[in-house]
Amino acid sequence: MRVLIVDDSQIMRKILTGALKKVGMNEIVEATNGQEAVEMVHGDDSIGLVLMDWNMPTMTGLEAVKKIRENGCKTPIVMVTTEGEKEKVLEAIKSGANDYMVKPFSPKDIQSKLEKHLVPADG
Amino acid sequence: MKAENINPFLEAVSETFENMLGCSVITGEPSVDNETDTQNTPDIIGLIGLSGTAQGIVAIRFPVRTALRVVGTMIGVDFKAVDSSIIDGVGELVNIIAGSAKTKLEGHKIALSLPSVVRGSLYRLNNLNNAVWLSLPFVCDMGEFSLMISFKPTVVPKKEAVNACANSR
Repeated sequence: MRVLIVDDSQIMRKILTGALKKVGMNEIVEATNGQEAVEMVHGDDSIGLVLMDWNMPTMTGLEAVKKIRENGCKTPIVMVTTEGEKEKVLEAIKSGANDYMVKPFSPKDIQSKLEKHLVPADG
Repeated sequence: MKAENINPFLEAVSETFENMLGCSVITGEPSVDNETDTQNTPDIIGLIGLSGTAQGIVAIRFPVRTALRVVGTMIGVDFKAVDSSIIDGVGELVNIIAGSAKTKLEGHKIALSLPSVVRGSLYRLNNLNNAVWLSLPFVCDMGEFSLMISFKPTVVPKKEAVNACANSR
């Protein structure tokens, strides 16, 4: 199983990559905007989790979540974003995101989210 | 700028540094001016625009040596010089701080622009529409830095509107 990190910030991609490696997840792919994410996820069953930023150029994370769900993909998506208002969280969940993590997050926050969503389906 | 609008930014800086860098910050004496002081040190500044029920700019200013340590700590790398990671990291920090503050600003609905980063030794940040800069200096284990905020409400926040209505009776 691979994890797709979607964020226009290379630093944030590095932080998330580091956190994933700490929990033993080394199969990581990256996208820098929502459009790239939609294309990468489409028809690729090897991606088992998507960590999605909200505010990105070309296509936002929210638009990407909607597109991914329109395409019939059920891969879990965790929004990782500065958009922390309750209505934003609800909007993302309503649009198809499975979970939400607000920046700034601590190493403990991200580790618990990853452990929750990286559990194998039969585990 | 009202204290209720300043505190969210102070809390946002503190939380960001504690959560993402494992370091506490000490806040210095705030100052207010129409433009920032002319600087003569090599700095890196992350800027992000605010729009909605308030308009303005949030800017985080790091001396280069602080930026190298802060961004290096974020990803566990020892940086010796400014590169694209440092620029990206400063942009991400202002994005996180402004995003966290806007969530805490009661009664406001604010959208953020995508962040920009500028570098230089001799510069001055001016502001439009007679808005002033509030400058908040900070010190942490990685060095000094400051957050500058230009914040101008465009509508009366909901909470104040309710109070104004009650008082007018």
